[in-house]
Amino acid sequence: MLPRKAKGGSLPFACLLMSSLIPATAFAQYHPKDTEWPSYAADLAGTRYRPLDQINASNFSNLEIAWRIKTDNFGDRPEYKLEGTPLMVNGVLYATAGSRRAVIALDAESGELLWIHGEHEGKRGGAAPRQLSGRGLAYWSDGVDERIFYVTPGFRLICLDAKTGARVPSFGENGVVDLKLDDDQTISDWNSNHEWVPNLETGEIGIQSAPVVAKDTVMVGAAFREGMTPRSMRNNKGYVRGFDVRTGKRLWIFHTIPKKGEFGYDTWDKGSAEYTGNTGVWSQITVDEQLGLVYLPVESPTSDFYGGHRPGNNLFGESLVCVDLKTGERKWYFQLVHHPLWDMDISSAPILADITVDGKPVKAVAQPTKQGFLYVFDRVTGKPIWPMPEKPVEAGNVPGEWYSPTQPIPSKPAAYSRNGVSTDDLIDFTPALREQAKQIVSKYKLGPVFAPPTVSKLEGPLGTLTMGTASGGTNWPGGSYDPETHTVYVYACNSCIEPIGLVESPKEVSDLRYIAGVAGREVQILRGPGENAGADSPKPPKRRAGSQYQRLDIDGLPLVKPPYGTISAISLDKGQITWQIAHGETPDVVRNSEHLKGMNIPRTGQETYNIGTLVTKTLVIAGEGQVTTTSEHPRGAMLRAYDKVTGKEVGAVYMPAPQSGSPMTYMVHGKQYIVVAVSGGPYSGEYLAYALPSAGE
Amino acid sequence: MVSSSCVLWAQEPAESRSVWDGVYTEEQAKRGEAVYKKECGACHGEMLTGGESAPPLTGGGFQANWNGLTLGDLFDRIRKTMPQSKPGSLTRQQDSDVLAFMLNMNKFPAGKTELYRQSEMLKEIRFETKKPTAKD
Repeated sequence: MLPRKAKGGSLPFACLLMSSLIPATAFAQYHPKDTEWPSYAADLAGTRYRPLDQINASNFSNLEIAWRIKTDNFGDRPEYKLEGTPLMVNGVLYATAGSRRAVIALDAESGELLWIHGEHEGKRGGAAPRQLSGRGLAYWSDGVDERIFYVTPGFRLICLDAKTGARVPSFGENGVVDLKLDDDQTISDWNSNHEWVPNLETGEIGIQSAPVVAKDTVMVGAAFREGMTPRSMRNNKGYVRGFDVRTGKRLWIFHTIPKKGEFGYDTWDKGSAEYTGNTGVWSQITVDEQLGLVYLPVESPTSDFYGGHRPGNNLFGESLVCVDLKTGERKWYFQLVHHPLWDMDISSAPILADITVDGKPVKAVAQPTKQGFLYVFDRVTGKPIWPMPEKPVEAGNVPGEWYSPTQPIPSKPAAYSRNGVSTDDLIDFTPALREQAKQIVSKYKLGPVFAPPTVSKLEGPLGTLTMGTASGGTNWPGGSYDPETHTVYVYACNSCIEPIGLVESPKEVSDLRYIAGVAGREVQILRGPGENAGADSPKPPKRRAGSQYQRLDIDGLPLVKPPYGTISAISLDKGQITWQIAHGETPDVVRNSEHLKGMNIPRTGQETYNIGTLVTKTLVIAGEGQVTTTSEHPRGAMLRAYDKVTGKEVGAVYMPAPQSGSPMTYMVHGKQYIVVAVSGGPYSGEYLAYALPSAGE
Repeated sequence: MVSSSCVLWAQEPAESRSVWDGVYTEEQAKRGEAVYKKECGACHGEMLTGGESAPPLTGGGFQANWNGLTLGDLFDRIRKTMPQSKPGSLTRQQDSDVLAFMLNMNKFPAGKTELYRQSEMLKEIRFETKKPTAKD
């Protein structure tokens, strides 16, 4: 458990480090350096870019583990879903870790633990919708004070002294702002009499992403339980707030569901804005400090796949919203999906990019999405860089549903991952496999992006077969951006099929008319990690005759053709994909398939939704999300590096488990490090720090 | 772990068992299905295909994770960490039954004897993705 020293590495720097933490120039504003990683996504623009080049194509494969830290003891149980990206400032690495969502500070060279902070929240933490270690934290300094901000599973904003890990007493109440209070709503929950009553302990709201600090404002969104089978059309709302970094005083709030009298309220027919909830910003917020503008990626409203109780376009659901950093006032918005029905949360950080289009400089914002479109706007005005015409889309026939007749479709760049399912997409290694796949999908409705969900019927369709919805395309890790070449690099799951079927909900399960389900099978509330199916929860009806398990693979082979997962390079100057590669070793189940014996299958990439990329001076770096066992390496996964200009792989290094949090990089005392979170399956969470061997080794 | 179990297999092929050797019964898998649906299915999905935040317990990705390890490793993972809201709240028998159901759903063959309930004994059963061809 103790951090290992780099082989032949330098002496511990603890004493030197502590003295170096005292700034030479008191009260100077903190200016991040290129060698540091001061924000979750490297900077407030969401780039995941650092112009470092000590680790490059010539030596990437020589990387060694400089230090590592297991997170098992940062909580009362080990965690197998470590999703954090650490920060590194002034030689100290800060991260969230473990099932407690502890905050740890480590010596960035040796991995030595400098301090740890944890909040024991009892039932409030245990009832939280988004538990475990979360994705990270935020750093702030005025040149004298250094502060670390994070949000606990129980939805408290904590301010720590970065030097000691102690709460800062002058912030909020003894270093804590209770985010369930002062939220322009009363956080509530259902009681045993099925009444919606205030409840700060179990009232559903939380967040797993990192807060964001810009200038002297710390911003926090909100997240909820998974939304496929909500218990009710009513829920708490996911407003966004800004707080003073020094005092914790609330500076502003943005109502992601407008209140009566506010702009957008009339996009919720029949008063549905009053009771509909969710619509939070659970992913990363980005900020242009110079312009004083904040970019909010907003998720779906309550009930991912059935919107019959919220007729209308539902602003600001699934919208990119730009607000003022000082006031939270809306500057512009663009709704990517009207009347959301596909769980197309805007799931990752908007990326700020200063680009050149048709010879003119443009301050742009680019938004990767689950649906594989990269939506690019002028970030000052919100006007699309290339036309996004409203195009007619199919209306479904789910009783009580309300359909938007059109959706905006970007004309450029082209979709960088599949966002619909057609027969042409199906596996075609052999004619027999293609036939089997056709047989399986014949029980479903197929269609392009925005094909509507269907009521699930035993005789068919069981549902709509979709891609680019709940777990497809790009999810929370988002993309990277290279400001030198004006290129976005982004991973996408190109094979994450999601069947969307709806079944009538028994009243004892949900007050919605329809929730996600499959005809003939029990209606079941789908939950996220840590949500308890309590002893008093209503019992679902018994299974009806005729139900069958329908697997959406053929002996493990994905139903669709490779590539299963890709990394794309997209030029923002041109609005074009410049290269696209399959990311990840061919899965064992494909490489060893009896169906494919004797065939030479090129690398397929992997079906996974949680891969973040890192871009440096010359490389795009990303780990694999699946474990493989090959003739080249034992059971494990590879951290891979690609030439950022060509996409050609130039190196790879072994990891004992899949990448589960996005990689970051920094340089301390002349040495570059890459840190990545790994976990999954049998392997509990661990941060690995890679560096080149020291001279002479 | 991989190399040592391979060595063991090479030295003692007659006594070493894998998930392909019928290490659970159909009846046990049925019991396990009932426990699974009550305790696990809400997160991992009725068909074990995973949820937005919980990994699949069937299919290539799942099997690759455990390839080369043992059923003891998988059993301990379940026993120590699941269900996530109340780890260790199921009995060893229930955990064993759930494991039998998972093996069944992953198309490993059933046999005539039930799975063990002791980690140490389950560690003697290898989890192998590839069906052995030379053992007939």
